[in-house]
Amino acid sequence: MTLLISNHRAMRQLVLAMAITGTTALYSTSTWADQAAKDRGLEIAVAVQAQDDGFGDSESAMTMTLINRSGKESVRRMRSRILEVPGDGDKSLSIFDQPADVKGTASLTYSHATEADEQWLFLPALKRVKRISSKNKSGPFMGSEFAFEDISSQEVEKYSYTYLGDETVDGITAHKIEAIPTYKHSGYTRLINYIDATRLIPLKVEYFDRKNSALKTLSVSEYEQHLGKYWRAGKMEMENHQTGKRTILTWSDYKFQSGLTDKDFSSNSLKRLR
Amino acid sequence: MFALKGAIKFCNRHHQIPRLIACYLVVFGLSLSGTAAWADWDVRGNFTQELSVFPHTAIHEANQSSNYSLSAEAEFYSNLGDNGSITITPFLRVDRNDSERTHVDFREFIYTHVGDTWEARAGLGKVFFGVAESENLVDVINQTDAVESFTTDQKLGQPMINLTLIKDWGNIDLFVLPGFRTRTFAGANGRPRLPFVVNTDAAEFEASNGNDQIDFAARVSGVIGDWDLGAQVFHGTAREPLIQFNPSVNALTPLYIQNTEIGFDAQATLESWLLKAEIVHRAGKLLDDHIALVAGFEYSFFDIKSSGADLGIVAEYLYDERGDGSPSLLQNDALIAFRLALNNAASTEALAGVITDLDGAGNLLSLEASRRFGDSFKASISYTGFSVNDSESPLINLDREDNTRIELGYFF
Repeated sequence: MTLLISNHRAMRQLVLAMAITGTTALYSTSTWADQAAKDRGLEIAVAVQAQDDGFGDSESAMTMTLINRSGKESVRRMRSRILEVPGDGDKSLSIFDQPADVKGTASLTYSHATEADEQWLFLPALKRVKRISSKNKSGPFMGSEFAFEDISSQEVEKYSYTYLGDETVDGITAHKIEAIPTYKHSGYTRLINYIDATRLIPLKVEYFDRKNSALKTLSVSEYEQHLGKYWRAGKMEMENHQTGKRTILTWSDYKFQSGLTDKDFSSNSLKRLR
Repeated sequence: MFALKGAIKFCNRHHQIPRLIACYLVVFGLSLSGTAAWADWDVRGNFTQELSVFPHTAIHEANQSSNYSLSAEAEFYSNLGDNGSITITPFLRVDRNDSERTHVDFREFIYTHVGDTWEARAGLGKVFFGVAESENLVDVINQTDAVESFTTDQKLGQPMINLTLIKDWGNIDLFVLPGFRTRTFAGANGRPRLPFVVNTDAAEFEASNGNDQIDFAARVSGVIGDWDLGAQVFHGTAREPLIQFNPSVNALTPLYIQNTEIGFDAQATLESWLLKAEIVHRAGKLLDDHIALVAGFEYSFFDIKSSGADLGIVAEYLYDERGDGSPSLLQNDALIAFRLALNNAASTEALAGVITDLDGAGNLLSLEASRRFGDSFKASISYTGFSVNDSESPLINLDREDNTRIELGYFF
């Protein structure tokens, strides 16, 4: 710990010294290196996104297990449908099956790369479709350790990237990329993504809170490839280091290109979802 | 559709509850066996126990200081063919004291057909229009099941044929509403209620064919950017009755008049702000032409101090041009409410709100809290407090009807 702090101090003093003396050569080399790392980071993020292009639409079932610090579990189940929108964020539907008191509740999101997302909620007891604010990025999804921003459509434009080198995650070589949210109201200062260098899929994400303290770690596993192209995770585990709580998501029943259209993602269709 | 309406009408003729229930069950059973196998039904619902406590003695004959009631609701859904489905939602309440509150209803008993650019529904259905929190003036299709709660959000199933035309910009909804359902009111032994009983059996109608009148409605709705917009017209029997004193039965009686209502609703969703308005214009032979409106905002603080909790503030103004002559108590009133959601595993929520009459006639205070227990239970506690300042008001003794209600629901 002491070592880390003194290292930090030494680094800061060095940077300060550089700034004061204005060592031109050193300075420009470092910006050049910075820019190269940013270009490389963006390049990888674009490649990750690009290999998912053309999936069209997909359906899946999700089980979410919330585990509190003392190990007590509660389970939620939902199904989701996603429609790819070329050139913009996806349209997605979530239908809740468990717990029983929210059974039949459904949400519809039109996510956008740069503008605010549009979001509607269907409340089955009142048959009411409600437009809701999409400003809440950092709040918990269904009481879990996943924030809304963790599970929403991950568009390249939502972050700025820096490549930090390669590391090994569970024996797999991974690109380590820092991502800084560019959208408003994020609960994070930054994320560290570990992207499988050959398959170009995220294996691990570390989240840092608004004070830049380590907050959560996401581990993604049990990947399967669909239609010979699209990788989907079977399991995601989010651990909150500050509260000791965990949430495990497991995905099943993936279906691709079943012919969903815009009409299946209208606020009218929310009323008759099953 | 008409056979169903007939069957339900036939059932409704049985005023004795056990026979009424038996009758509904027979209709329900026949329709189940006639449509699909049991295994194909998707079912959800709840059993809920309710305990109400009244701290003040009433000035009317319902003198109980507490009440116990049970309700059950289940929705049965099945696909019929490739594009069709049927939804059947029976509801039952048994109340210890109030025979008017003990009732059965089909919230839904409806067939839906989904075409490429249209949807059609026929049967008993439930629809919701509107954006506001305190009152939904444009929600004109279903009758309020007023014995269920002091608010207007519990509705009776409405016989309907509904055609929805799906356009790129939104929807056009057309409704034919064959058969009118009268509003439920607390009976002589029910609490909370007004000092006088509303005698629902003595209901009067402006239309010569009473509740066999066929009503019509059309609505256009769509989304333009941040705005969700709706415009509609309704022609027929107003769902809200005029309440008159009828000396021949020495009770209040509802009068259901004919009117034409034009309504607009809008919500702008601007980050943390939701701006909302509903406005209606009503005209009829027994009615002075007038407008009524509800308008306001909801502002939310999300993820307060990274706790995950949200706090929403709702403020709305309610107006009815008829003023004190309005059957609505919300003729010049304001709502202020605070809604707290912890967004935790138990979905703990709390709501505190007050509706104030801006002419100084009185206040309605409402406090509510709820949470889930385990996977299948949900508990809530609510307090409703009335205060009436105007000693001339017919509502003067309503402040005796303050109550605390505890509900425990089992959901499946």
